[in-house]
Amino acid sequence: MSLLGGHQPAAVPGARFMDPAVLARIGNLELVARAVCDGFINGLHKAPYFGASVDFAEHRGYVPGDDIRRMDWRVWARTDRYYIKEYEAETNMNFSVLLDVSKSMDYGSAGITKFDYARILTACLTNLVHHQRDRVGFAAFDSEVVEHVPPSAKHMDTVLHVLDRLKPGRPGGNMRVPLHKLAEFFGRRGVLVVVSDFYEDPEAIVDAVTPLRFRGNDIIVFHVLDPAELEFGFGDAQAFEDLETGEQMPVVPDSLRKEYVSLVKAHTDALQQKFSEVRVDYTLLNTSQPLDHALYRFLGGRARKMRARQ
Amino acid sequence: MSFLAPLFFAALAALAVPVLIHLIQREKKQIQHFPSLMFIRQVPYKSVQRRRIHNWLLLMVRLAALLLIVLAFARPFFRTTDAAAIPGVGAREVVVMLDQSYSMAYGDRWDRARAAAREALNGLGPSDRGSVILFSANAEIAVRSTAERNRLLAAVPDTAPSSGGTRYAPALKVAGSILAESPLPRKEAILISDFQRGGWRGEEGSRLPLGTTLTPIPIGGPVTAANVTVTSVALARSTFSEQERVAVTAAVVNRADQPISGGTLALELDGRAIQTERLDVPANGSASVAFMPFTVAGRNRRGTVRVGADALAADNAFSFVVSPSVPVRVIVLSGTSSAGLYLTRALSIGDMPRFETDLRQPDTLSDADLQRAQVVLLNDVVIPAVLGRRLARWVEAGGGLFVAAGPRATWPQEADVLPAVLNGPVDRSRDAARVGGLEFGHPVFEVFRAPRSGDFSSARFYGYRNVTAAMGAQVLARFDSGTPAFLERRTGTGRVLLWASALDLSWSDLPIKPVFLPFIHRSMRHLANYREPAPWLTIGQVLDPDAAGAPAGTRLAITPSGRRAAIGDEGGDVLELTEQGFYEVRQQAGQAGDASMVVVASNVDPSESDLTAMDPKEIVAAAVGNGLSDGGASAVDIPQTPEAQERSQRLWWYVLVAGIILLGVDTMLSNRLSKA
Repeated sequence: MSLLGGHQPAAVPGARFMDPAVLARIGNLELVARAVCDGFINGLHKAPYFGASVDFAEHRGYVPGDDIRRMDWRVWARTDRYYIKEYEAETNMNFSVLLDVSKSMDYGSAGITKFDYARILTACLTNLVHHQRDRVGFAAFDSEVVEHVPPSAKHMDTVLHVLDRLKPGRPGGNMRVPLHKLAEFFGRRGVLVVVSDFYEDPEAIVDAVTPLRFRGNDIIVFHVLDPAELEFGFGDAQAFEDLETGEQMPVVPDSLRKEYVSLVKAHTDALQQKFSEVRVDYTLLNTSQPLDHALYRFLGGRARKMRARQ
Repeated sequence: MSFLAPLFFAALAALAVPVLIHLIQREKKQIQHFPSLMFIRQVPYKSVQRRRIHNWLLLMVRLAALLLIVLAFARPFFRTTDAAAIPGVGAREVVVMLDQSYSMAYGDRWDRARAAAREALNGLGPSDRGSVILFSANAEIAVRSTAERNRLLAAVPDTAPSSGGTRYAPALKVAGSILAESPLPRKEAILISDFQRGGWRGEEGSRLPLGTTLTPIPIGGPVTAANVTVTSVALARSTFSEQERVAVTAAVVNRADQPISGGTLALELDGRAIQTERLDVPANGSASVAFMPFTVAGRNRRGTVRVGADALAADNAFSFVVSPSVPVRVIVLSGTSSAGLYLTRALSIGDMPRFETDLRQPDTLSDADLQRAQVVLLNDVVIPAVLGRRLARWVEAGGGLFVAAGPRATWPQEADVLPAVLNGPVDRSRDAARVGGLEFGHPVFEVFRAPRSGDFSSARFYGYRNVTAAMGAQVLARFDSGTPAFLERRTGTGRVLLWASALDLSWSDLPIKPVFLPFIHRSMRHLANYREPAPWLTIGQVLDPDAAGAPAGTRLAITPSGRRAAIGDEGGDVLELTEQGFYEVRQQAGQAGDASMVVVASNVDPSESDLTAMDPKEIVAAAVGNGLSDGGASAVDIPQTPEAQERSQRLWWYVLVAGIILLGVDTMLSNRLSKA
């Protein structure tokens, strides 16, 4: 049972919401992560230990091949039938963040790029989970897998180190290739967080992410967008250059802002709907908003899921 | 207006460049990076609205400049409408070239050729002018540029063709000169021939003036009738029972597709057939027929090898002249009889010429001997002053003297004919000397010029006479010390050769070297001024009476047709051979009898009997610059003068200047706009 049940992010007493632009100016990623998490945890007054115990889930009938050590002898004594006890969660959870490092993430109009925002978010989530003694891992991808740190209880520093030296450089392209490849690595059940700006067709995105669930992983998706991408607040007519392809297009922003915003809205709505259909938590993050919101969404989502399964 | 290089208009595509520059120039200044244009691209937006041209004037100037430059490179020019330049209008200058080589006698070719010539001349209009050129190996103008048709028709010969071969180039050159001088606007040349392949040796500078129409009229046709040619004879001399005999071998070529079997080949001597041999020649093949030797009884025997009659008679007979060979008389003066062993042995060998050697002691040489001799060879002997003076006079009168200066040789100083002064001997017995620095251009050493044609350096000389070359002497060879080894001096009409060493084994091993015999033979031939008489000449060659051995003075030549021509009167000292048969060259009447007469055989060029025809277009292409002129169907436009051509094409220059000026204006406008 989660300790966060019933709490809403806005109601957290003492929580320090730090401006992402300020965080981005702090060079040490570990320090940033600790500052965010500590403040966040202190505000909770309770340690965010979740999934740390062995929670009984259900009985099921014994089938040859099951480990007899998991047989419930008491039920056998009562009913003279063999039953196996199953538990809700493993003792230590695998937690990995899958971060999009394509060139389009290297954009920021509010003092922090989407990549930096996602990096801090990753560091914070990893730090948070590491405090729960869960195993942490990390993967970076663009059009293919760039970095992969397998989940381990000792990999916190490695993840932070890899995060620190990552730079977005190559164009993204089809997410299906790297995510399907990564799905091979996560054999044990755990929590996978996908962070990207999702510049792709919603169908293709869901098609790329869904295989990550096939081994029982819980998927949480953070859709990181810059406020300029959401609101399109450009004034003068100018040529827009695609960061990934280099393609240029003359644009008069005033004349197409309305259509653009509605298209982005339709895109995020479609993602929201399609992810919910495949039971994936989807969260749209605006880089102008503090990181704590994302953390609350993460923990809140986890709590809701735990409740739903009990 | 037309263009010389219209392909340059492809460069007009460059006009799009300034337009594009004007369209995209603004947008490049402000670029907004954006993560993805995925959504922007989906907005139905007409971005062309943004692409508008800002500086119409600048764009127009640039476009005009480019247009003018492209136009200039396309070389515009105006066609002139000069009436004189329009083909097919105006009077004609027509040159008819009629082939009268002996191959035209084949079948009815000659009749057809003359008919074609007359037809061409009858086609002349009242204002046209015509010329007639008769050609074989050479070309002669029968009638030059006249409007009188009767004169032109009379120039077409009624007689048989000549005995000459075919060459088209001289006729074309003569025709070109007539046409070039003509003021008439239309120039035509008509070539009537059987177009033998052998008569065309490439262009040879036979280009007709620009605008000339050359019309070939081939008088050929299939070669079906038999055509046998006696191409040459070989004369092999031999001596039998002290009589000189000559064996004749004739080469016969059959140029027809049918073989000859059982034909006859006759050898005539002085007009009488003395032998007849059977002749079998394969189709398009050749055969060699040898006759039995006959005795050469006297001078100027006229021989002819004759084959049976066929369609082309001129090449059926091959004439030659044989005379008893005349030996070169050499008197060898030697101190001892054994000293001249190698010399006499060397001179006893050879037929062309034969050497008649007389070995004498110096004191036995009489004036009568000298008169008979052509060469006197002093083989290391002491020459007293009296003999020296006699020999000097004899040399100045045309005699040839060879002096071999061994250790004993002396020469009186008062007889100054030697090419060098004899000094003391040089002993090289320890370090043998070699001969080098040969003057290969000299007739004596010419045969040794080619590699592996005799090595004088292989001979070793253990002693030689140190000589000092006299004035007017030519050093022909030197010893390795630089001392002259072999010298020549001309005195009067005679020659003196001096060999500064012995011609026996006392001072050198030269007499036992392979070069010794040719060296002695060439020296004797040179001193005797010997020339091998040619048994025959070919029509087209010139007859040099001196070379033929004709008597000196004013000479008279009697041609085979009986015509008399004086040589040396006005036409130079030579006579060009134009007839087939025997030419007689003798002194003017009454000066001498037949004893001094020289007979020269004259044969037709055997290559002319090869009737293989060529494509007349080849000659037309070479003469007028293209092969489309036949029949006058596509006459070449009469060109303008170079000045007129240049004038009509000068327009490009002005267009280019205008384009460059506009580029300057463009630069100024751009600078002003950028500052603004």
